[in-house]
Amino acid sequence: MTTTVDVPGVSAPDDGSAILVAEDVTMRFGGLVAVDSVDLRVNEGEIMGLIGPNGAGKTTFFNCLTGLYLPTSGRVVFNGAVLPPKPRKVVIAGMARTFQNIRLFANMTAVENVMVGRYCRTNTGPLTSILRGPKFHRDEKATAARAHELLDFVGLGSTADSLARHLAYGDQRRLEIARALATNPKLLLLDEPTAGMNPQETRQAEELIFKIRDEGLAVVVIEHDMRFIFNLCDRVLCLVQGRALIEGTPGEVQSDPRVIEAYIGTGPEDAAELEQFEEEGQDNA
Amino acid sequence: MITVPRLVTPERQQRSDPAGGWVAIAGGVILAASAFLPWAYSFKALDGMTLLGFPSPLQYLGLVLGLLVAGLVVCSRRIKPKGKIRVGWVRGAKAAATGALVYIAIIILSIAVELGGLINVVYGGWVALLGAAIAFAGTRLMIMDKPATLAQAQLRPTLEILLVAVVMGAALFATAFALNIDDGGAFVSFIAFLGAFVAVLFRVGAMGFLSGVSQRHRKVLILAAFVVAFLFPFTQGGSDANMSIATQVIIFAAAAMGLNITVGLAGLLDLGYIAFLGAGAFTAAVLSRSAFATADIHPPFIVVVLIAGAVSATLGLIIGSPTLRVSGDYLAIVTLAFGEIFRITMINLDGEAGPNITHGSNGIPAIPDLTLFGFDFGRPHIVLGIQLGRFSNYYFLLLVLIAFVILVFVRLNNSRIGRGWVAIREDEKAAEAMGVNVFGLKLFAFASGAFLAGIAGAVKAHQDISVTPDQFIFLESAFLLAAIVLGGMGTVLGVLVGATLLKLLPEKLRFVSDYRLMIFALLLILMMRFRPEGLIPSQRRQLEFHEEDEELAERIDEEVEQTGALKGAGL
Repeated sequence: MTTTVDVPGVSAPDDGSAILVAEDVTMRFGGLVAVDSVDLRVNEGEIMGLIGPNGAGKTTFFNCLTGLYLPTSGRVVFNGAVLPPKPRKVVIAGMARTFQNIRLFANMTAVENVMVGRYCRTNTGPLTSILRGPKFHRDEKATAARAHELLDFVGLGSTADSLARHLAYGDQRRLEIARALATNPKLLLLDEPTAGMNPQETRQAEELIFKIRDEGLAVVVIEHDMRFIFNLCDRVLCLVQGRALIEGTPGEVQSDPRVIEAYIGTGPEDAAELEQFEEEGQDNA
Repeated sequence: MITVPRLVTPERQQRSDPAGGWVAIAGGVILAASAFLPWAYSFKALDGMTLLGFPSPLQYLGLVLGLLVAGLVVCSRRIKPKGKIRVGWVRGAKAAATGALVYIAIIILSIAVELGGLINVVYGGWVALLGAAIAFAGTRLMIMDKPATLAQAQLRPTLEILLVAVVMGAALFATAFALNIDDGGAFVSFIAFLGAFVAVLFRVGAMGFLSGVSQRHRKVLILAAFVVAFLFPFTQGGSDANMSIATQVIIFAAAAMGLNITVGLAGLLDLGYIAFLGAGAFTAAVLSRSAFATADIHPPFIVVVLIAGAVSATLGLIIGSPTLRVSGDYLAIVTLAFGEIFRITMINLDGEAGPNITHGSNGIPAIPDLTLFGFDFGRPHIVLGIQLGRFSNYYFLLLVLIAFVILVFVRLNNSRIGRGWVAIREDEKAAEAMGVNVFGLKLFAFASGAFLAGIAGAVKAHQDISVTPDQFIFLESAFLLAAIVLGGMGTVLGVLVGATLLKLLPEKLRFVSDYRLMIFALLLILMMRFRPEGLIPSQRRQLEFHEEDEELAERIDEEVEQTGALKGAGL
């Protein structure tokens, strides 16, 4: 299936297996259009890549999906329901994310970080916490057990009691993934999961993402590392200057002359300007 | 920056270390011996230091510090570390010498102030100062040893439990001793001694060991602490003066503990917190059987306590829901304004500007003493031949209250909710993106803190007999916050220590009451500079305040991996 969506308004057909459908998402910061009517469709159990040169609006688009930004126009349908623009509700709906610049709870241990991820799937209230009845101990035990299970899953079982800030860089990225997985997502959004990793760590990250897909989750990955993304993904969407340039299989995207042109020919001023806006937006949001 | 040439360099220390040890020992011995000489010209100064050969209690403490310096230096030379466990002998010696110098300096200044001039310091005092100075100089010349790892040591469980009992007994004895000192200078000197002693314990590593012991025997420790607290009134020999202070301390500590939920756990700066204590107090006053109470119903006290807590918590929710949308400094300003609004509203509910609920600035006086299950809190009772007065009665009730407050604090902290609070403090955005109900948890921190203050206020109303709006000024909020900052954010023990210091010192140091605020300001500035996390911080808070300090982080990480948990509530 090849759908070039550089013409706004043409969206992919809905065949029922889509878990996430973003339609005509536009995000403006003042006069600058960071994301310009982008459509995205992610099917269940699929790994979707999101590429584009610096400042193409990838992270902004992510933030629109996960409720950090309220898109200027367009809508995001997840699992058949329109997503409310609240990060917490997005997580509860079943969509979890990691951050481009790692945002772990640095002074908590690895296992505590993952346990925070379980927060939205548990309901131990204040009264239960104070009275410490059987439910409290049951819940805490289950939370801790699940957290350890997830740490084992991402390969951090032996460092469960280390402070997050002391983990190696690659381990911090994996811990962020474990924390996101703790929220029981159906769709995982990874923002540059291999940034700053060495080739070996990148390979491990790739294996981990395949493993996550095999658990039945859909994954959307933002990446700069072309080889990584073309190995990994079932489909790839290329964003350039806020617009969807092309969407297709890795082979199609890889060979498209416009993608190559876009990567070489982006004006540096625009990119810098957009990055600045994105940062400000993130601070304000 | 002006660079000061360093007098003590590692190379020089390398050469001077052996001599430094001998000098320090000599200084310590001189200091110890000076205890048997007269220090002051008149027995009116401090606790009477005029006798040759018969040291006063404070002079004995000087002797202890002197021997401590000498003993620690000897130990550092004689005792080799066994296995992985290291004792910080030299660190301890340095702390002891510094502490001794400060202690003796304070004593000499106190003598000078109380008797009018340094001329009243007799030769013994100068010998003591000289000894302390020599010991200080000697320890400066010594090479610092590696940080102690005594925290990893363990004794047999029975011995450890015995140790807990001994430490608790010593604490009770020290408290009773300190409270019975009437002389201001002597009190300050004693506090200085305690400070020096605790500093030595910290540097040697004994504090780490004790905290390990308290982790292993938490239940024993808590039980012992309450037994000691329970026994305290019996050490007062029927006098109610100190019990009055003690009740003030506990009410203050209970309120501070509630504020600690908001500030220490959830990380929200609240400068109007006293309003919640006030709301509880006014609720109890209005519902009391006072002739000036404005409500016609007088429910039993248990119900009143719950109503007071509920009123405060509701107030917390009302204030919280709009204001918690701002954060940091803005939140501080908004809450500060709220505290003032509360006070002025209470003044205006006088029947003229608004309905008559509080009798305006006169407040509600003549609130009768409590009677619970036939026990009259206003009358003295004789137990085991010791008379327990009115304040002792309230003291026992307040012990129950603070036990409840501590229970709520600790259990909330060590739960899913506590984890959520930590996550919010660490990175609010990330917490929200991981599904933590940030706004809800903040609101809950506000409301639960307010609830605890409300129930403390209800008891306060009866104990203070009258409730007026001017008891709830901004300064009180600032003091509550200061207790937390001073004691250590997010810990139970820290708040207890902070609250005790802030309530006890003004009572004991009446001679500097004019400079009270200045001294507190100075104290806080010094704290911010040298120990921003407070005297007894939670480990996580310590990490947060020292993001750059990798040595500290490594050490805590090591401990965490051994015990499997960060010492959150730090009991």
